[in-house]
Amino acid sequence: MPVVGFPFFIGTGFIMKGSRIAPEIRARLIQACERIVGAEGVVADPDELRVYDCDAFTFLHRCPPDLVVLPTSTSQVAEVVRLCCELGVPFLPRGAGTGLSGGATPLAGGVIIVLTRMTRILDLDLPNRLATVEAGCVNLWLTKAAERHGLFYAPDPASQPACTIGGNVGHNAGGPHCLKYGVTTNHVLGATVVLPDGEVVRLGGKVSDAPGYDLVGVFTGAEGTLGICTEVTVRLMPQPEAVKTILAVFRTIEEASNSVSGVIARGIIPVAMELIDRETIKAVEANVKAGYPMDAGAVLLIELEGPRAEIEAEAVSVEGVCRQQGCLDVRVARSEEERALLWKGRKEIAGSFSRIAHHYYLQDAVVPRTKLPQVLREIEEIGARYGIKIANVAHAGDGNVHPMICVDRDVPGCEERAMQAGSEIMRRCIEAGGTVTGEHGIGLDKREYLRFMYSPADLAVMHRVRAVFDPAGLCNPGKIFPEEDERSAAGDSSHRGSAVSTS
Amino acid sequence: MSVATIPCGDLRAIVGAGFFLEGDGLEAYRLGGKRPQAVLLPADEEELSKILALAWEEDLGVVPWGGGCHQAIGYPPNRYDLALDLGRLNRVLAHEPADMTATAQAGIRMGDLQRQLGEHGQFLPLDVSMPERATLGGTLATRLTGPLRCRYGTARDLILGVRVAHADGTITKGGAKVVKNATAYDVTKLYLGSHGTLGIILEATFRLYPRPEVERGWWLAAPDLATAQALANRILGSHLVPNRVELAEEVAGRACGVSGPGLVVSISGLPETVEGQLVDLRGMAGEFGVAPTELGDTATTGKALGDFPWSNAGSGGQGLQALWRAGVPPADCAKASQAIREATPRGVVTAMAATVANGALRGVFRAEMLGALVQSLAAAREALVSLGGYLVVMALPEAARDGVDVWGTPPEGLSVMRRLKAAFDPKGILSPGRFVGGI
Repeated sequence: MPVVGFPFFIGTGFIMKGSRIAPEIRARLIQACERIVGAEGVVADPDELRVYDCDAFTFLHRCPPDLVVLPTSTSQVAEVVRLCCELGVPFLPRGAGTGLSGGATPLAGGVIIVLTRMTRILDLDLPNRLATVEAGCVNLWLTKAAERHGLFYAPDPASQPACTIGGNVGHNAGGPHCLKYGVTTNHVLGATVVLPDGEVVRLGGKVSDAPGYDLVGVFTGAEGTLGICTEVTVRLMPQPEAVKTILAVFRTIEEASNSVSGVIARGIIPVAMELIDRETIKAVEANVKAGYPMDAGAVLLIELEGPRAEIEAEAVSVEGVCRQQGCLDVRVARSEEERALLWKGRKEIAGSFSRIAHHYYLQDAVVPRTKLPQVLREIEEIGARYGIKIANVAHAGDGNVHPMICVDRDVPGCEERAMQAGSEIMRRCIEAGGTVTGEHGIGLDKREYLRFMYSPADLAVMHRVRAVFDPAGLCNPGKIFPEEDERSAAGDSSHRGSAVSTS
Repeated sequence: MSVATIPCGDLRAIVGAGFFLEGDGLEAYRLGGKRPQAVLLPADEEELSKILALAWEEDLGVVPWGGGCHQAIGYPPNRYDLALDLGRLNRVLAHEPADMTATAQAGIRMGDLQRQLGEHGQFLPLDVSMPERATLGGTLATRLTGPLRCRYGTARDLILGVRVAHADGTITKGGAKVVKNATAYDVTKLYLGSHGTLGIILEATFRLYPRPEVERGWWLAAPDLATAQALANRILGSHLVPNRVELAEEVAGRACGVSGPGLVVSISGLPETVEGQLVDLRGMAGEFGVAPTELGDTATTGKALGDFPWSNAGSGGQGLQALWRAGVPPADCAKASQAIREATPRGVVTAMAATVANGALRGVFRAEMLGALVQSLAAAREALVSLGGYLVVMALPEAARDGVDVWGTPPEGLSVMRRLKAAFDPKGILSPGRFVGGI
């Protein structure tokens, strides 16, 4: 279906089948890859390859790769990449496959280079508060390793127990605590990158501001289209002296979002300010009993970190702002158990939703913080207009909204209406001065929305960058950019919205 | 080098006669001994775009110009037909105090920008040297940093989006006006620190911070640099949230009003929280036998450290001087300072300071003889490279240029950088030859 005007993504499941490379090429690939990484590092069985037919963006577009290779070193990655170049076969990197925009889903086959056998922490450099890890190192492992020394790694995406640092670099991952500490790009100092032609370069490193263009900066968040990073050097931060977790309960979502603006306007930057609306509270309480009041219109989960005296003072201000907005109750977690329970509610939202909807489309957009009340009101109106339940959670301090659009596939037309509602939400967010993704990335999911943010000239600059790194267009083709702008014509323009199946 | 003929009439027509400078007006725009053929001061984006389109057409070398105070950095342009002075693009375009974001044009002086943001009790924590002259655009194009990066990061962390004029006059944007964004490539990062070789930054949107209620600073005099470094490591690895931790050896210390070697540490926030952190700071200093002495005027000392070494403060006498910046792993600042001092020949006056959190050193060498100056730079660079670091010469006497490669050994990835330059500016008209590797 050609996309005309603003995309109303309508479609049903679409699974691509079969190899798109000639059998003799595939045979050569298998043989050569087995030589490079050993037979145990090559997945060629069609049934096993189906495991890799999508990442955590599970809807609508799936396509198994022709081959999966699991190297154990940078030089093996480089050899596999050179092999792909030689044979003209597309390739893409994959970490844990927890991405929410289809960045690690093959568009039309090719080789997936999976980095989950490269998991070592190579260097925990305590005096410099830096760590160098292999790309497949799990985010949480790094924080656990650093914790023993009073340090931590700040970016904390929800998939933290599974997702890899390499994948975090690919998507410039965020997380609830990024409000104060910044997202992945703010913590990455260096990367060993296998360029799309197989050349290995060490970009940046332990030393800041070395002369030259900031290639690490542009590589981070490029979703694996500019090469494959195999090692990453990141900054670690000292653990704060004290933490305070506050639950503020509101009658309306508007009061809650006004409180967010009020806190920020006072110059207080909590580590997290999570907004959870009525629908979500209901789902969460039915599931984990986090103690969110069932009669609330919305709650704010606010966390302050820093020197003890500072957060004590800030907590008083935060409470004052919330009271001024007419909040019903302010509760401060008095123990680590209470704190963990409050966060459990937030972290179990995705799982809890399976209780109220079979499927939901998880959106991700950012608006200026002061526009939150308006945008959340508009999202509510959109939901009402389409007759669809939309629950809202937001990293509200950043203006990062995550509307969850509930889909009942048994109701005819529901899925289409959900898609349309999602599109309209995106448009509202852009009109409010925002962006179409704060942390999930574009991947396959949001390519068509790019045009609503960036002019053809803006996008031409990005294509220029892409062509410099990957002139052959073999490195994760078809991602980020609107499809007809990319040479890889997979003939599939029927994909749409970001959907997560909970069933 | 052949000199291109510039279409004076057409250029003058774009900006108006009053903003087209020739003759004596060019003297202030000298770079590496070269004067441009003309200086243009466009009133707005549109005029600037037209100038570039014409320069592109006629294949003229163009150097963007802000305050001019950091233009000594880099190689002199190998073609220098036009200087494009952004001084008239000097407005704050938007300031959303409640969002803590603002957008300003590139030609605004940092000092003016801070005063306007200050009306709402906010600031952009980029404490570049000479803020009354330095512009926002120049600060971003050079990506120079100051001591406050210890707490607030650099332009990399603070800039959310930019508008940029390209070699052919096309204007594009990168990034957005919100504080979090994962939408396609972060091209903004490429322009920051590119010294005007990929495009000319026209405006930038950035995150703001509240001006702290109080700021207090202390001088922590240490018996030697190694102790100062160890204490800095202790502070930076702790729960304290200082906004500056500057290591100064004696000469730089004197230049900034303290007597080194030691650390300048400052903490900002609410009065009671600063007091609380001071108690802990005293305890940590005590572990090293050091007692903090409160600074009389933290803002002034902070500014002196930010201006160092450009300020020329503390220059003992006449003679030749070279300014440099360097990077090493954060815990090696003292080691690097010592290595530099040992490497420089007798008779060369050396002053150095470091933002310890980021391993960012900067300093000045002064010598009577050119040879000693050149020798010092080479020896210092060698010492730093052996520590895994680098040294960039920011300013030096013209006569020393032949003996010194100001950028030093190009970094890994140079071939990608060259291809980027070729893709962004295929005719090579923007700041030609000024950057790393002659880009």
